[in-house]
Amino acid sequence: MSTYVYGIIRASHPSLAKDLDGIGDPPRPVRVLRQGELAAIVSDAPDQLRPKRRDLLAHQRVLAEAGAGGVVLPMRFASASPDDDTVTEVLAERAEHFLERLRALDGTAEYNVKANHDEEAVIRLIMTDHHDIRSLAEANREAGGGTQEDRIRLGEMIAAAVQEREAADARLLHQALEPLAEAVSAGPQSSGWLANFSFLVEGGSAERFLAAVDAFRREHLHLELRVNGPLPPYSFVDTPSSRQVDGGTAEAFGAAAAQPDG
Amino acid sequence: MTVATQRGGGGGSSGLYDVLELILDRGLVIDAYVRVSLLGIEILQIDVRVVVASVDTYLRFAEACNRLDLEAGPGKPAGLTELNRSGARGKTKGALPRAEETISGTFQQARHEGRERQSDRAARRRGE
Repeated sequence: MSTYVYGIIRASHPSLAKDLDGIGDPPRPVRVLRQGELAAIVSDAPDQLRPKRRDLLAHQRVLAEAGAGGVVLPMRFASASPDDDTVTEVLAERAEHFLERLRALDGTAEYNVKANHDEEAVIRLIMTDHHDIRSLAEANREAGGGTQEDRIRLGEMIAAAVQEREAADARLLHQALEPLAEAVSAGPQSSGWLANFSFLVEGGSAERFLAAVDAFRREHLHLELRVNGPLPPYSFVDTPSSRQVDGGTAEAFGAAAAQPDG
Repeated sequence: MTVATQRGGGGGSSGLYDVLELILDRGLVIDAYVRVSLLGIEILQIDVRVVVASVDTYLRFAEACNRLDLEAGPGKPAGLTELNRSGARGKTKGALPRAEETISGTFQQARHEGRERQSDRAARRRGE
């Protein structure tokens, strides 16, 4: 029976709720394995695992519960160890590294901000800003919509302007929120957002951060913002050196994640 | 405008889609632990934006552009917007299903090709 690992905490972390349900059907009970100054939040691993809503939510819920009591290093979904002993061996071997990460992330939370354009609003802005697009649109309209070729040409110009605007708006969002965060991590670009940033925010700055998000939203009504947080610091558990080790996984699960552009 | 602010740990299901890639693609990875093989993981690789540079998108943009009332700028009264929108609804009906078909067709294609060549897909996603 292998051991599913949710996250790593300090051994001194307050006890978790007694009947905390883990992944699996029926849900496997959550346990804590202690080793020196560290502890791992684990449960038995089910034989098969799929990224299903119930299991993803269970993973997330266990980490949220643990995070409410203190700092936690969240594991990526689907991390399992051959057995309990291997879990504690790893804690012992890399104690210094994990303790350093726990210190660095203590009192912080991740806030993920995604942005997209309200299509109609952004086309309206583009029509206002680009004389050439506006006159082509007017000409098309006067010609009863224009030929297929005219319409494609107009749409092509709009698409180019939209993409330009996406990049510019992503930069603006980054600039507006970065000063209020300890660190910023660009999320995977694969999900269809013009911007997808995770911000590491100190507990004391959380209100100011959210106020800044609201202010940005009011100033840029053509943007749709989605904010999720506080979350376990998924995007900030790795130091740059350990991130290289995990490059293979990152590549296998989304090469775009490694692309800073876009 | 869609406003979605979830506070309180993200334990609910409403924000799950938004944090999916963090749970699946971020978080600590320890080489001594194996990653349970995940079936169905390719769902993350699907990208609606691969269709941005297509004729259908251009036509959709042109259509959307034609719907807009050029006389009224971004600051026009809200009531007028509503009127325009309801008036344009009939017109867009033809354009939308076509875009949807294209997207679902692209998904199929992306999935298919994705099994063969992952790097190509990443390049396409970046619009290269």
